[in-house]
Amino acid sequence: MKFTFLFALLLGFGGVLAAGHFVPWGAQVRLPSQTRVVANGGRSERFVIRLPVDRVAAAGAKSAGLRAETTAGARALPPELTAEPLLVEHYKLRDAAGNVVGLAARHWSGDARAAGTAWSLMIPSRGAMLLTAPGEARGALDAALRNSGYSPGSAWTGEVRVAFAPGGADTAVVAAGSDEFAGLDGRYSELWTITGVSETGELRGTIEIDTITRRGS
Amino acid sequence: MKYAIVALLGLLLGAAAGGAVIYYNPFTQPSPPSADGADHALHYDLPGEVLSFTPGSDVVPPGTPKRDDVFWEETIGRTALLSLVLEDAHDKPAAVASRLLAVSSRTDLLLAGVRVNDYWLLTIPGEGTLFLRAETNVWPFLKETLPVWYFGRHWKGPTDYRPTAGPGADGSALVVGATGRFAGLEGSAVEKYRITDLDPASRSAAATGEIDLKLASSRVAAGQ
Repeated sequence: MKFTFLFALLLGFGGVLAAGHFVPWGAQVRLPSQTRVVANGGRSERFVIRLPVDRVAAAGAKSAGLRAETTAGARALPPELTAEPLLVEHYKLRDAAGNVVGLAARHWSGDARAAGTAWSLMIPSRGAMLLTAPGEARGALDAALRNSGYSPGSAWTGEVRVAFAPGGADTAVVAAGSDEFAGLDGRYSELWTITGVSETGELRGTIEIDTITRRGS
Repeated sequence: MKYAIVALLGLLLGAAAGGAVIYYNPFTQPSPPSADGADHALHYDLPGEVLSFTPGSDVVPPGTPKRDDVFWEETIGRTALLSLVLEDAHDKPAAVASRLLAVSSRTDLLLAGVRVNDYWLLTIPGEGTLFLRAETNVWPFLKETLPVWYFGRHWKGPTDYRPTAGPGADGSALVVGATGRFAGLEGSAVEKYRITDLDPASRSAAATGEIDLKLASSRVAAGQ
């Protein structure tokens, strides 16, 4: 009986320690990556954001335009941070097949000293990527919509395509990465396709982020 | 029958001893790097300076008041998205940060603690944007808060935490300059925070925090 007790004691003790060490407590659900090999080396991968369903939150200066409208439940930026054009946006991120695979944050600044766009794309099972670009002109999307007949306060449907980071531009780059994306160099393009705006200014459409990366030297 | 009861008793006692070892295990205590020599020290107040917070459905503590805005998709169920305003030394709003958080696969309750990948985009208007890549050990925080939230244990706070646990060689977070005057810079960061209140009813905590940033020229620019 003494042996049984000691054996069970060790089994319970060792079992809990083994579970603490070997059970993958931090494992994330992973879907197959929608990557393609490109002809001259490297790989391409498209990420998609569908508007409005994937828009999680946004905050920004009024001068940043329609996209700066604060989402329900989110607080506005304090006035000290909106003296310069600034826009912070958060989205769910999809793969090319339309599956939600991660989260994205986009910071845009339009002031002369610090103009630029930065994307942080996080795919929990694979890591994160930092994308940077010079940044679009202030109110670029609003101007394109107005040129297509949109007027603030009224609903609009149609199709407007605006390349915030045009394909082939060497200035829109994959600047850093972690885990699976660590050590990758590359470029990206960012295309906004807007097919409608509601009376309240809610955008309908897609954002396509196309990355081409290769292992850095 | 007697043997079965003795075996069950032994198993339970052994499991409890194993649980105690994991709870008090010194290997899972962070050994934070020093924040001396920081170029920027920005601080925040939770929940006072939160712009928005959306957790994944799998990281919402059981018993938390129901909310409809959680990430329900299984691929992002163990993540959270936090946006907050940071203040400078004069308590003026100076920066805005977006934090994408995900439970890390490096979580190991025996050797590493509960690890969270914490990716920051931090913009200081007029200066530019930084990308921070931090690995955070939240196990010391969970060890203290969960018994207060769920078992009514008396809280001995306020309590200070220095959760940054990498991925830098010295245990600090890595910083990459993204835009503006930060473009091309690299550096390190360390976060610390103080839990000032725990509310068992809403399973929430109030805290003040600080991120200390140290920047240097990039390795490429330095010719390394």
